[in-house]
Amino acid sequence: MDSFQSTPSGCAPDKSEIGAMAAARFATNLSAEATSRTKKRPLKFGESIVGRFGLALILVALALVSSLPLQRFFPYPFLFLFFAAVMASAWFGGTVAGLFAVFFSTLAVDYFFVPPFYSFSISPTAEAYFSGFVICALAASWVSASRKKSEEALTQARDQLELRVSERTADLQKSNVELRERERQLRLLTEVIPQQIWSATPTGAIDYCNQQLLDYAGRNLEEMQGARFLETLHPEDLEDFRQAWQKAVAAGESFEGQWRVRGADGEYRWFFTRGLPLRSANGTTLRWYGTNTDIDRLHRAEQTLLRTQTDVAHLSRVLSMGELSTSIAHEISQPLTAVVTHGNACMEWLSASPPNVAKARHSAERIVQDGTRAGTVLGRIRALFKKQSSTRGRVDMSEVIQELTVFLRDEAIARQVSIRVELAPDLPPVEGDRVQLQQVALNLLMNGMDAMNATANLPKELRIHARREGARQILVCVEDSGVGISGEASERIFEPFFTTKPDGIGMGLSISRSIIESHAGRLWCSPRPQGGAIFQFSLPICPEDVDGQG
Amino acid sequence: MAKVEPTIYVVDDDPSVRDALQNLLEAVGMRAVLYGSTQEFLDARRPDAPSCLILDVRLPGMGGLELQEELKKSGVPIPVVFITAHGDIPMTSRAIKAGAVEFLTKPFEKKDLLAAVTQALERDRERRTAQAKLGAIRTRYESLTPREREVLWEVVSGKTNKEIAGLLDLSEITVKIHRGRAMEKMQADSLADLVRMSEKIQARFRK
Repeated sequence: MDSFQSTPSGCAPDKSEIGAMAAARFATNLSAEATSRTKKRPLKFGESIVGRFGLALILVALALVSSLPLQRFFPYPFLFLFFAAVMASAWFGGTVAGLFAVFFSTLAVDYFFVPPFYSFSISPTAEAYFSGFVICALAASWVSASRKKSEEALTQARDQLELRVSERTADLQKSNVELRERERQLRLLTEVIPQQIWSATPTGAIDYCNQQLLDYAGRNLEEMQGARFLETLHPEDLEDFRQAWQKAVAAGESFEGQWRVRGADGEYRWFFTRGLPLRSANGTTLRWYGTNTDIDRLHRAEQTLLRTQTDVAHLSRVLSMGELSTSIAHEISQPLTAVVTHGNACMEWLSASPPNVAKARHSAERIVQDGTRAGTVLGRIRALFKKQSSTRGRVDMSEVIQELTVFLRDEAIARQVSIRVELAPDLPPVEGDRVQLQQVALNLLMNGMDAMNATANLPKELRIHARREGARQILVCVEDSGVGISGEASERIFEPFFTTKPDGIGMGLSISRSIIESHAGRLWCSPRPQGGAIFQFSLPICPEDVDGQG
Repeated sequence: MAKVEPTIYVVDDDPSVRDALQNLLEAVGMRAVLYGSTQEFLDARRPDAPSCLILDVRLPGMGGLELQEELKKSGVPIPVVFITAHGDIPMTSRAIKAGAVEFLTKPFEKKDLLAAVTQALERDRERRTAQAKLGAIRTRYESLTPREREVLWEVVSGKTNKEIAGLLDLSEITVKIHRGRAMEKMQADSLADLVRMSEKIQARFRK
């Protein structure tokens, strides 16, 4: 998940950054290229000072040689050949050669073509002519040199461009090959790892499944594409999945869940599915990637654990409170019924006329028999209780309550009850029987949940809190938002066999109170101001802790 | 009606309770037959005599309440007196709604038990008498010819001989003869007697 999300902002640079970097790199390449080329290229003739000088001299000499014969025919011969020499020098030798050519031409023209001829002096009448020539020559040299310069720049630019293009092409080809290789390796990876992998279009249609997934489902890619993979989902999970997937696709957010998927063998197994959107820089979903993890065994173990937990919670409660007292009542009432009935029969036999003594004696014998049996039952029950009541020690009620709430979590979820636990951090330990005290707390919590069964439309909140109360005792309160206790019931609620529940025995609170009282504590109840009831009990703190903290 | 000794069936899985009940019932001059389970009771052949059932709620296999329903369904409405070591309100109301005579909690008092048993037997006796009467009327009705039956239903619906003659396309004399014979066969002393009898069988035989 993280790798996908962090990609646009973290690892890879921004688009503009890429541009800037490439440009910078390119620029360095170019300048390096340019310097290396200027260094490597051998100097041409026209590029050394001497060469330029010679070039100008030769060209001007050529112009002179060509122009001299013409002087015989025209008094003011065309000096265009000198201009040509200047321009050619500037073109091939650069500005410096052009200026040399101007200098030589000026000398030549002055000497040969400006009156007085064959002399460097200039007659006043020819001054304008001469200066016109010089200016024109300078201009020709400058124009030619700058034209040449721009032409060269252009050529160089074209060369560089070509070079750049060829380099880029090579780069691109190389990275293409690399990319293909990487893709091949990645594909290989998805096929090799023992995980089911899929991808989907932004709209949620499956477009790729790895071989593991196809093998499991026993289908080919075509049979899984689009929405056809839904056919492999358990019908009971279909709606749930559809909703989760549609929601994720609509929001473009990662999605996950547990669903049963049918394998090639027709059996359904539990899978944990997780899908992640690959997003573009601007946040739109480009593609979905997901994995399915087989959690069948885990899921089954979890279910078993959950069931066991619920069973244990239920069993311990039923056994500890209800079932035990029911079976005791049954065990004792049977022989008792026999005793009473035989007694009645005995009286009937005796009051007959004449009294049937034999039958009366038989009845009396049976009374003794069944009475003895009732005694045996009582003895057995006493033995049972003896086994339980024994160990007393330091008990941390915080620990006891926390254990209980873990225990009751599933029951609370099933009944849609939220349990709030508030335990004072400095709760001192009490002295007592841990199992018995846990039974009391369990009984109060279960009573609270039962009381909220009827309040279907109200929030069901069960609050248990424990704190130190004064120097010598702690107080544990259980508050529920249930139906509450009527005035009459609140007086009798701790009596044995009094119950307000249809399936209750009426022993829980009575036993709880006797347990608390045997610990030198007190258990009582009061109405909760916002509705419901509060049951609380106090217990004395261990003597050694009273002095330490009191 | 023949005078048959009433029988009280006891179904309880505890032998000491069963024996005690038998002892007490015997002491007050009643006949008790004992069963250890509902299945035992269902399998047994029961004499055709006024009877009632003292039934424990908590039994191995099929429980007491289920047995009560089963009997009602199979058209054997023996009145039931429930006994239980541990009864609660829903259990009691379910039993009473299904027609139980009484619901007693163990250990019960003698007078409560005997009163319940007496009431149950009385109820069964009444039921049996009513059933016997109905059976007799039915037998008589079945001895009528189709024509006599036709005439009978028209008579009890209040029509005159003349009207019936017109309706069935018979002469008035013939209607009179059929009517007289039907009265005779049904052993009706008067028209009112015939109407009463016809009401009892109406539901089943009138087409």
